Amino acid sequence: MREMLPFGPGVFAWGLVTGVAMVKSGLSIVESLGLSLLAYAGSAQLAALPLMAVFAPLWLVTLAAIIVNLRFVVYAALLRSHLGHLSANTRLWLGYFTGDVMFARYSALLAEEPDYPHRVAYFAGGATANWIIWQVSSIIGIFAAGAIPTSWGLELAGTLALLALLIPLCRHRPAQGGVAVAVIVAVIAHDLPLRLGLLAATLAGMTAAIALERRLRSPAT
Amino acid sequence: MDETLYIWSAILGVTAATFIARSSVLLLGERLQLPPTVESALRYAPACALAAIVANDLLFTAGALDLSLHNPRWLAGGVAIIIFAATRSTIGVIVGGMVAFWLLRAWFSG
Repeated sequence: MREMLPFGPGVFAWGLVTGVAMVKSGLSIVESLGLSLLAYAGSAQLAALPLMAVFAPLWLVTLAAIIVNLRFVVYAALLRSHLGHLSANTRLWLGYFTGDVMFARYSALLAEEPDYPHRVAYFAGGATANWIIWQVSSIIGIFAAGAIPTSWGLELAGTLALLALLIPLCRHRPAQGGVAVAVIVAVIAHDLPLRLGLLAATLAGMTAAIALERRLRSPAT
Repeated sequence: MDETLYIWSAILGVTAATFIARSSVLLLGERLQLPPTVESALRYAPACALAAIVANDLLFTAGALDLSLHNPRWLAGGVAIIIFAATRSTIGVIVGGMVAFWLLRAWFSG
């Protein structure tokens, strides 16, 4: 758990912003608490808010949350060989508690010491710390939001938090191309009903990124 | 559909999404081997989805594309990107972006 402390302020700020953003997009305090305590997914919560605000179909809200969470599928694919000996139940909950920061710390540890004997305890401890910091800050944000005037435009902080998550994902050329295509399609398809433009933009961006990845790789092989 | 029911259904949907995305691969373990194309697609999906969401939030005013100086949100987003490039700080992006937003709004609204 001590390992998580340097990341505490970042997680805290994020939770705070998410808490404020939920209330500012029109959820009641109880609904915001429910979303935070159950879903425990900053990016997916923030991604779902604009969709919920316009009553987009439930399948689209869920799909958007899954897509934003897909990075965890990649994380989990890398973790599974280290945690595969655990019971299905334990794995279910370890997966649920995997945050971005937690995963980054854990892979750094395994790179240094692949056979670290207390790795499950390390993972569980870090994940618990992350969960507590996240929930406390979100709850503070939820209750503080009522005292903050809407004219401050604080819901923008939620968008900025997503932006802060997005930029590090764009380190490589294919991702940059995919993101550029996704933005262009999102603008063109903005008027599609049910916010389907988001889905179209995501699929177009993914296709572009994969095509670009192939092209960049082919001269070398 | 009733508003409260809709919101709680959506909350459960997002909760299910968390479990599906984070735990399914851990549960399936070594039995599941992803083809390389699928793995690439999964790697790029979050960035593309986030970009589309952020673009919708920053570039549009009242449902119309607005890249003028009277839309402080996309300018603040630009400032936030520069701040991240310089500092690598998440808090810097959020705080700096908000401050830029307030300043730009004050300048161009008058």
